[in-house]
Amino acid sequence: MSHITEEIKTSIQGVEPAEVSYPEKGYHYALEASLENLPDIVRFFDKKCFYLECLLCTDYTDTLELVYLFNTHLAPCRFKVTLKIDPQRPIAPSMSAIFDSAYWYEREIHEFYGVLFTGHPNMTYLFLHNDIHEYPLRKGKVPVPPEDKERLDSFKPGEQEDSFFINLGPQHPSTHGVLRVVLKMDGEYIEQAEPVLGYLHRMHEKMAENRSYQQFLPNTGRMDYLGPMSFNLGYVLAVERLCGIPVPERAKFVRIIATELNRICSHLLWLGAYLADLGALTPFLFVFDDREKIQDVLEGITGSRLTYCYFRFGGLYNDVDDPFIEGTKAVVKRMWSRFSLYEKLVTGNVIFINRTKGIGTITKEQARKYGVAGPVLRSAGIACDLRKVEPYSGYDELEVSFPVGEHGDALNTYKIRIAEMENSLRIIEQALAKLPGGPFMAEKVPKKLKPPRGDIYQVVETPRGELGIYIVSDESDRPVRMKWRVPSFSNLMIFPELTKGALLADAVAILGSLDLVIPEIDR
Amino acid sequence: MGERGFCLEKEIIPVKFAVVEKVLDLARANSLWPVTFGLACCAIEMMATSMSRFDIDRFGAGVFRASPRQADFMIVTGTVTKKMAPVLVTLYEQMPSPKWVIAMGNCAISGGPFVFEGQYNIVEGVDLLVPVDVYVPGCPPRPEALLEGLLKLEEKITGSRRFPRVESA
Amino acid sequence: MVNELLNMASSDAGKMILGLIGVLAFVVINALMLTWAERKVAGHMQRRIGPKEVGPFGLIQPIADAIKLLGKEILTPARVDKPLYRLAPILIFVPVLVSFIVIPFDASLQVTDINVGILVILAFSSISVLSILMAGWGSENKYSLIGAIRSVAQNIAYEIPLLLALLPVIMLANSLSLKDIVEKQQGLWFVFIQPVAFIIYFIASVAETNRTPFDLPEAESELVAGYHTEYSGMRFALFFLAEYTNMFIVSAVATTFFLGGYQGPVLPGIVWFLLKSYFLVFVIIWLRWTYPRVRFDQLLNFAWKGMIPLAFLNLIITGGLLKI
Repeated sequence: MSHITEEIKTSIQGVEPAEVSYPEKGYHYALEASLENLPDIVRFFDKKCFYLECLLCTDYTDTLELVYLFNTHLAPCRFKVTLKIDPQRPIAPSMSAIFDSAYWYEREIHEFYGVLFTGHPNMTYLFLHNDIHEYPLRKGKVPVPPEDKERLDSFKPGEQEDSFFINLGPQHPSTHGVLRVVLKMDGEYIEQAEPVLGYLHRMHEKMAENRSYQQFLPNTGRMDYLGPMSFNLGYVLAVERLCGIPVPERAKFVRIIATELNRICSHLLWLGAYLADLGALTPFLFVFDDREKIQDVLEGITGSRLTYCYFRFGGLYNDVDDPFIEGTKAVVKRMWSRFSLYEKLVTGNVIFINRTKGIGTITKEQARKYGVAGPVLRSAGIACDLRKVEPYSGYDELEVSFPVGEHGDALNTYKIRIAEMENSLRIIEQALAKLPGGPFMAEKVPKKLKPPRGDIYQVVETPRGELGIYIVSDESDRPVRMKWRVPSFSNLMIFPELTKGALLADAVAILGSLDLVIPEIDR
Repeated sequence: MGERGFCLEKEIIPVKFAVVEKVLDLARANSLWPVTFGLACCAIEMMATSMSRFDIDRFGAGVFRASPRQADFMIVTGTVTKKMAPVLVTLYEQMPSPKWVIAMGNCAISGGPFVFEGQYNIVEGVDLLVPVDVYVPGCPPRPEALLEGLLKLEEKITGSRRFPRVESA
Repeated sequence: MVNELLNMASSDAGKMILGLIGVLAFVVINALMLTWAERKVAGHMQRRIGPKEVGPFGLIQPIADAIKLLGKEILTPARVDKPLYRLAPILIFVPVLVSFIVIPFDASLQVTDINVGILVILAFSSISVLSILMAGWGSENKYSLIGAIRSVAQNIAYEIPLLLALLPVIMLANSLSLKDIVEKQQGLWFVFIQPVAFIIYFIASVAETNRTPFDLPEAESELVAGYHTEYSGMRFALFFLAEYTNMFIVSAVATTFFLGGYQGPVLPGIVWFLLKSYFLVFVIIWLRWTYPRVRFDQLLNFAWKGMIPLAFLNLIITGGLLKI
């Protein structure tokens, strides 16, 4: 790690990376950039095979700060590069030519903060509707100038083009939620696919700035309604780390069990929805059967069926009791026997294999440039699972293994998710065996949390991939900025690339294999 | 609600018969076909309602049609944002009458947990856009609640309830 | 008075009219019953019950569906091509009625026995392609158009193996009349002599009726609802009726050609015929709820590069063996 800091000091003028305490901050090095040397810095990280983990903007009233987070997949080495911009004339150079993942991040920052990225090919609205009068996430009311309002998204075919446009969604028979993809078709082949987002933009990040830390907890479950436990977990871990609240051992293990049960639920629903997209409607009902059994167990301790809000700062809301442990053991036993059913029904099916083999192949380079996460990343061949690489909440005391694919196609991703379900079962068994007694909640957690000044970046592994939460606190009971780096956002970015020249049916298969959940993309 | 009864494109017969109306209402209540319109978290509970454990197909309502032209009622499950509002209204207008709307979940009823001062993107309740017949509260409501909402809609159409209400002792 | 009526009824014309009325009644009851059967079979395969509350075992459910569809607003979208849009549902339904005329339900229960019976059935089933194209084009909707074009390509591709699979049986029976083909299966059903032809015919007919795994024209997850996206109410019901009736016809033809038609011990012929046909219909429903959908190019490859050469080979071998 330190050799990278040496190299960057020598190769670029005026750059001084400072080492920070990783357990407190969540990143390893911080460095300040300026408008002149930012492109050089970014190109340096690209050459060193880093990926752009997140690009966000914070409004500190007197300055705007752009934060670029770079990281490597295999051994975590997170660099936080900050760039301060003048809020009266917010202009920054665009990095979308170097990292493809910056393309959408910059559009998002543009429409929420008004920062203009020079050199960006398509500075149009990504999330918001055209009736917005003020930049939403700026503190104070900053009106949208008229030339910005003209940047609407529109698709008009050229004069001599044979192709036509077709919409996939937003009312979708395949159960993806409200995603709209505009496809430019040439017969049955897709020339270009452009996702249109924002149909479920529920202003989570603005709500975070208007609510206290405790009041924001229910929102975390609604961001990803299939894996709410992981989002919950990430949020409480971030705040606990920021405030320095210790978590008792029992709570750590119960968190692991609950999160892994939720992961199995999420993968099961993905399986059913994916097969429903491909036309086989029966496995959808089988997976819901399994899900109901798991949901019964979780309902016993949390009280909810779908959008859980079980974790609290310092521990859990409710202690687990014997019915939960017995129930979990029964569920695990039942799930082990179900995999053979899915093998027979799905994995060996010739039609299914023909529909998914070789479809949507992702190379390692593409995976790095777009910053994809989760099973999609692992199927491309990059062995990165945050439960092992950057363990949190007791995962370092358990044996975590994860499957890695080779081709990066849809069939590989499918097999990896099935294997991940099996791994989750093993983790649950280990955690149940190691479950200690003791308190389930830390003592003396303040009623009104006022974290110390500073920022933190916490990552967890959700069923869809790497979730990053960046919180900036200024000692008040509301955060200054809370940014959610969600895996589905990065995974969707690669979709236009994968569908060039594919058939319409393939586009549906690829979209399904990426496992997207729209509320977390739209936040 | 739209035109009801056995009507042609122009109302040729200006007389309606009570018996015919009763039979038509019974048939409509027993064969309500929803349009697949899942927006957010409540959509998963709507899917769970159509699965083996709760099985909305028992009541004849299990045929989810993808095209609104072939559906009878729309279950609005989830938050309606300002970008989605014109889509929802278009879908509602594409449905042939008689048609009904069930607003499922707190977001569809009144904006749900996303109403705060300075909110800029959601429509606080789907009844600001289309006429709603049944409200099913919850965040998300249980599948049994959605089934109760369906039975309430049937009661609204036919005038009598399918299962007698269980009175607590 | 009664004598005169009976005389009229037993004349040729009278028999034809009674037969047509019977066929119409059968078609309607069959379609209603198949919608119920599909939902029940699907339900039980998916570990649930299916329609249950509407009448005992949900038996009144199809009648409720039919009455509801009758009472729907007849909605014609403004921009459709009105003649095509209105004609398509009728045109898809009428040819299947004609096909019923030549199917032998029993030794004496056939409306007429045309001596080129199978030619009539094949000719009229090709008209359904035309009506699907009319529906897709007339709807002025991109999804309908894509669905209709897919359907045309699919139907054209799969009609050839269908015909090629029936030809060996015709050669074996030495006749095109359906009654003769059934009579020739007195000793041994043709399915044992021509198993390959039976399988090819069955797969091709599943593709002809646009059922999963070949239901691309109405692929729900891709194309909203394919060629009948813009249809509502009774017009939509006619498409559905046509699909279920088509399913029965292809099963009936398969029964006639390969499974011995109405032949069987003890029970009257019509009972055997219906048992065999509905068993094949059950298999078609079973396939729908088990398999995912094939992709369009895989579908066409399977037809042109897989089924047609195999059917040709079967035909040549059969012809060769007959000569020897």
